[in-house]
Amino acid sequence: MKTIANSLLFFLFFAPASLLGQTMLSGMVTEQSTSLPLPGVNVLVKGTTTGTATDFDGKYTIEVNAGDVLLFSFIGYQSQEVIYSGQTELNIVMAEDAAQLSEVVVIGYGSTSKKDATGAVELLKAEDLNKGAIVSADQMINGKSTGVRIVNSGGQPDANPNIRIRGGSSLSGNNSPLIVIDGIPLSNISPAGQANPLTLVNPNDIESFSILKDASSTAIYGSRASNGVIIITTKSGSKGAPKFNLSSSVQVGTLPDKIDVFNSGTYSDFINALYPDSSGLLGVNGTIYNTDWQEEIYRTSMSVDNNFSARANLFEKVPFRASFGHSGITGILKESQLNRYTASLNIAPEFLDNHLKVTINAKGIATEKDQPDEGAIGSALELNPTQPVFDPNGGKFNGYYQLTDADGNVGPTNALAKLKQRERNEDADRILGNLELNYKFHWLPELRAIVNMGLDYSESDINEFYLQKAIDAYTVYEGLEIFNNFSPNYEETQLKRDHTLDGYLSYTKNLEGFVTKVDAQAGYSYQNFYSEGIKFPTNTDNGFRQPSEVIRYANELNLQSFFGRLNLDLKDRYLLTASLRADGSSLFSEDKRWGYFPAFAFAWKLDEEGFLSDSNWVDTLKMRIGWGLTGQQDITGTAGYYPYTALYVDGDPTVSYIFGNQAYTTYRANVYNPDLTWEKTKTLNVGVDFELFENILSGNVDYYIRETKDLLAEVPQPEGALKNRFVSNVGNTESEGVELALQLKPITTDDFSLEINGNLAFNETYVTDLENIEQYSSGGGIGRGTGVNILQTAVGQRGRAFWLYEQVYNSNGDPIADAFVDKNGDGVISDSDRVFTPVDPKWTYGFGTSIFYKNLDFSANFRGQLGGHIYDANLLNKGYSDVAIPTNDTGYIKNALNLFDGTTYNGFQEKQSDLQALSDFYLSDATFLRLDNITLGYKLENFISKNLSLRLYASVNNVFVITDYKGLDPENFDGIEQSPYARPRTYTFGVNLDF
Amino acid sequence: MIKKLLIIVLIATGMYSCTDDLNTEPVVEQSLDNLLASDPDAALGILARLYGGFVLHGTGVPGSGDQEADIAGDDPGETVWFRSMWNMQELTTDIVKNRWGDGGLDPLTTATGWVPTNKFFGYIYNRSYFNIAQVNNFILDVQKAGVENAEQFVAEARFIRALTYYYLMDMFGGVVKVTEADGVTGVLKAKETRADIFKFVEEELLAIEEVIPANNDYGRANKAAVYMVLAKIYLNAEVYTGTPQYDKALTYSEKVITASGFSLDADYQSIFQGDNYMASEIIFPLIGDRTSVQSFGNSTYLTNASLGDTTMPIGDFGNSEGWFGHRCTPALYSLFGDLSTTGDGRALFWTSGHNYEMTDYKVWEDGYPTTKFQNAYASGSSVESRFSDTDIPLFRLSDAYLMYAEAHLQGGGGTVDEALGYVNALRERAYGNTIGNIDSGELTLDFIIDERARELYYEGHRRQDLIRFGLFTGSDYVWPWKGNVAEGASIPSHYNVFPFPLEALQANPLLEQNLGYPN
Repeated sequence: MKTIANSLLFFLFFAPASLLGQTMLSGMVTEQSTSLPLPGVNVLVKGTTTGTATDFDGKYTIEVNAGDVLLFSFIGYQSQEVIYSGQTELNIVMAEDAAQLSEVVVIGYGSTSKKDATGAVELLKAEDLNKGAIVSADQMINGKSTGVRIVNSGGQPDANPNIRIRGGSSLSGNNSPLIVIDGIPLSNISPAGQANPLTLVNPNDIESFSILKDASSTAIYGSRASNGVIIITTKSGSKGAPKFNLSSSVQVGTLPDKIDVFNSGTYSDFINALYPDSSGLLGVNGTIYNTDWQEEIYRTSMSVDNNFSARANLFEKVPFRASFGHSGITGILKESQLNRYTASLNIAPEFLDNHLKVTINAKGIATEKDQPDEGAIGSALELNPTQPVFDPNGGKFNGYYQLTDADGNVGPTNALAKLKQRERNEDADRILGNLELNYKFHWLPELRAIVNMGLDYSESDINEFYLQKAIDAYTVYEGLEIFNNFSPNYEETQLKRDHTLDGYLSYTKNLEGFVTKVDAQAGYSYQNFYSEGIKFPTNTDNGFRQPSEVIRYANELNLQSFFGRLNLDLKDRYLLTASLRADGSSLFSEDKRWGYFPAFAFAWKLDEEGFLSDSNWVDTLKMRIGWGLTGQQDITGTAGYYPYTALYVDGDPTVSYIFGNQAYTTYRANVYNPDLTWEKTKTLNVGVDFELFENILSGNVDYYIRETKDLLAEVPQPEGALKNRFVSNVGNTESEGVELALQLKPITTDDFSLEINGNLAFNETYVTDLENIEQYSSGGGIGRGTGVNILQTAVGQRGRAFWLYEQVYNSNGDPIADAFVDKNGDGVISDSDRVFTPVDPKWTYGFGTSIFYKNLDFSANFRGQLGGHIYDANLLNKGYSDVAIPTNDTGYIKNALNLFDGTTYNGFQEKQSDLQALSDFYLSDATFLRLDNITLGYKLENFISKNLSLRLYASVNNVFVITDYKGLDPENFDGIEQSPYARPRTYTFGVNLDF
Repeated sequence: MIKKLLIIVLIATGMYSCTDDLNTEPVVEQSLDNLLASDPDAALGILARLYGGFVLHGTGVPGSGDQEADIAGDDPGETVWFRSMWNMQELTTDIVKNRWGDGGLDPLTTATGWVPTNKFFGYIYNRSYFNIAQVNNFILDVQKAGVENAEQFVAEARFIRALTYYYLMDMFGGVVKVTEADGVTGVLKAKETRADIFKFVEEELLAIEEVIPANNDYGRANKAAVYMVLAKIYLNAEVYTGTPQYDKALTYSEKVITASGFSLDADYQSIFQGDNYMASEIIFPLIGDRTSVQSFGNSTYLTNASLGDTTMPIGDFGNSEGWFGHRCTPALYSLFGDLSTTGDGRALFWTSGHNYEMTDYKVWEDGYPTTKFQNAYASGSSVESRFSDTDIPLFRLSDAYLMYAEAHLQGGGGTVDEALGYVNALRERAYGNTIGNIDSGELTLDFIIDERARELYYEGHRRQDLIRFGLFTGSDYVWPWKGNVAEGASIPSHYNVFPFPLEALQANPLLEQNLGYPN
């Protein structure tokens, strides 16, 4: 600020000199580190509109007067000001501006700098991200970005991450954010065999994440942007000397906690005390074994991760980067394994005097997954702990102990055998490639034409079979013992092919005067998502497994858009953005197909204003306001790919119908809705970005309100519809939220630096209208047969809510079965007494610290939520003592939750009714704090040779969780805990070599 | 700037041809035109689905991972129309109780605690309107496509729709009426009165009477089936409209008896066995087939759920699975007198290992299961299977005999000789001789309601019969577990119709809940 003020004074002082006459000045601009000429550098006479840019040889010519201040600027480089004092030639050497370069935010069809961004955009660079056992990109940002909640589905090596930015506003539409990798928007559907869409990118290849949260920034992605956008930019080649990186780590995963069921000893005491009639069922033939079935199915896992990358400038002109990676990720559930091979290539040659920049990105990923039968987790909770894992007599199941009844029918399957005796191999090969042509017009260098073509192609293969003597393949049919392990149990193949094409023109010009910069884009976008597959299921009828009718599918989704955006900088302090996008979706009929999505934003750089320019504590202060409309059309999960068309679907041969002697294939008319159209979300966002006290404190605060109308929701249909439920455009949701992110850098010296960051987000989304409907069931099974669901969507309530009775307790504080609070006081306990409780938390937060001391580095990252609820289905289904004893004379006793104090069972005795299952007794607050990761590293510079640097580190992930929840893990996306795949605690030891 | 705009326009027009790609074409699912072009039997296949609507769950393999159910619900097999209808008409009565108790079955079995959230009310309601919408769609499509035999196809479809409305009227009273005129994407309409629905069903059946052939493929509607539904609505006209029409009930019962080629089977049991497609008295069957018509909601539900291998040799009945579900109550089997000595061959109960009294309906051994419906063949041997081969005789000649007798006794005309002759024909078959025959003095309405239980138990008629005789609600007649009491207790009169399910009330705010039930 001071320099600007000074130069202004200077300019004023020298102004009269301009009358002295003009001179032609020429010169050359070169890059500091390479001494190569820099083309495209803006050269401007300050305070005037006189300006030019350097040509391909870095040369420029400009008309100047003595005393003029010349400003040389180029994005990514430190600007320079030089006072013209009559030189005939003025050569400039420009240095990279590390700080500024790293602040480039990719915003879709272009980029901006952090300080010029007008929307709620967050930039996360490699150094900001989570560390340790990171196998997919979502783990890098979990807890790091305010308002972004990521709840993975469990401890699987490729657990689905369930990402929600600002809570998600749709009911039946997809609520996941759009993910864009190097400009290519991905399909919302992952290939078969890859549960996590973010497995696609090797975390080591990621340069940065840009997270677009508000509508003014996402609207340029129109059709798929209602839930925010995560833009991943991968590392690219360099212009300097070749650089290599080798990184390697070993990870050890352990089971941090178990569900508290009886062990062998306590179980025996419990049975002997309360169910002496069943004592004979303890152990086998009088021998009591000591089996912890949870210990049996879990293990300490060893995983490895190796990556190699090379960056170079090929032939001194083609930036190039290539990487290879292999991760052998072993799950803590036995037999759970994911092998991932990744390769990536990035080259960016330039042609036509550097006017045509060609960028080629190619990423290949091959995954081989062993997917064990996760039913074993549930089995382990119910199996009798006094019986052995292996049959002391060998038995007929390859050594596994298995209970059978008098007729030879098997009881609950041995949990370890369940894992070991079924193989399911899921292999997927995927290529994501894009070719970007970026042409700068010779006759108008401010104008560029960009074409980006992408292809995401994958092939998947799933094969499931039972091994010899598998218990789950065994049946007794008419007295005959049959093992159905002679052919595959299930097979599936899939091909996915997604094409994308963006073509747009971009015009950027720096000006002097009132308008200081114009940046405009206009273009067209084409996205086509296609997948086809065939499934070969089998069924077991009359004891023999046989192939069922194969299931084929072919799905295509086509999206096309026209878009335009204009950014104006006024007087270098007011930033205006306006964008408009027209989107067409193949999911809607021709009349309803196009949606129009405008957005506006305004930002005011207060730090450029006179009243703050002298302030010595404000470095940056920017206020932002943005409004935008975004669309939602992705209802394929509930309504398929052709929801507006009248179609027939043929029945499997097993569901034919017979007239006379002939069986006819049955054809069902599928439900459809020709009136379906765009769900639209309006968002108003107000925010402040600040950097204070010479960057010691920086951060941002955002407030938003969001309204979604024409909500796409799968709702009950009135009489006359072809199905009782289907997607319609009904009703509204409203959201409100506040987000705060802070970064504190109290100490920044060469030897010691300390950084603390934190974020806090509040989000509430309410259903405000469902047209004719007040509420409808939105699922939520709790392991109680098929009818008992506890989630509802209701007007006036949060988007996902439990619908339960309020439990009545006796004087001892024990729940009274089937006794509930009569909320409306009408003397009858009915549905109108049920209370809504939200699943999702209002508050999510994360905080962390990183410390560098000389060669040592340390970081720790915490995250958690305040509020939100979880239903403990195990307390319902395994938290009563009678669950242990046999029903129907089966001769099996089962394990139960350990609520026995030596004399009494501190839970219900009897199996509770389905009504009691609807009690809030089973509901807990899901507030938690998790230490996500902690890392200690040591760096050896100039190790062995001058160009070699080595970093060694150790980290722990999932260190601890603090919560009041009594079940296993309060962090649960669906809000109902039954038999979760436990999240491992992982210890990582790694080495990173740069040379 | 102008050049820039020009380029945008050029690009835009260049790309515009691509916007055709927005018209994606399905490959697996088929439009009507493609379907008719690809399968010469397509129209029959759609019609087959309409009939199948009474017993099928969807288009995928039953019980598999991809069942592709017709309606959104829980377990697709549990939602099937016949199973749902049977649960309503039989479990709520003196005939049979189920012990599973899952998610709303207990309220049916005990005839207490009926609330709109009970999923079983939702199942029958949603299944019925699914059938109706499929019919409406078929009528529109058949006319559009110009299929051969369109007139008869449409008439059969209207029969299926009238039949569905008849059951809706019986269970819920006045309901919402939607026809092909309302399209197939749902409309918001208030319900009509029960009498209006009665009139609609009557008019529809009379309108198609001439078009429906007297003899049709087994499994499809014939004239006798049309007469049968007409006879049923007239017999129950007082319940439905307030005005009795026993004369018409008698006329149409007689038409069923005389104007068709159906005759009593010699062996009562054979009407309910795996090879009963050969039975001579089945007027309108709902098909079951172990290979081609698999369902958990057709006769499979009646056979498998009535078996339990701890007490019964399930293989002897042609089944590979027993579900430990249904047992009849003493209220039914006491009608046959002493089961060890009765000569009535219709008393098909499994007593070994079971208790006569139903002290606790949740205990499998309390109460006798019936083996009336079974998968074993009457002639020759059969192989055990999970899915049943047995066809459900939704309507059969014997019922018409008893309806004639009842209509006669109610003053509907006819002669006592004929009425007595019909009743004794059934009893002679049951006893194998005339020992069980009755005389005209014994032919009373009290006898008829009991005889209907003996002849037609488990066939889905009981609740309707009890309501017609004024015995379903109140305390005039109680049976085990009525009112959720072992010895039976009164239930309120508004239980003569079921409550509309919550989801229907949510979807259609114009739909008014039946009297006595909460919204």
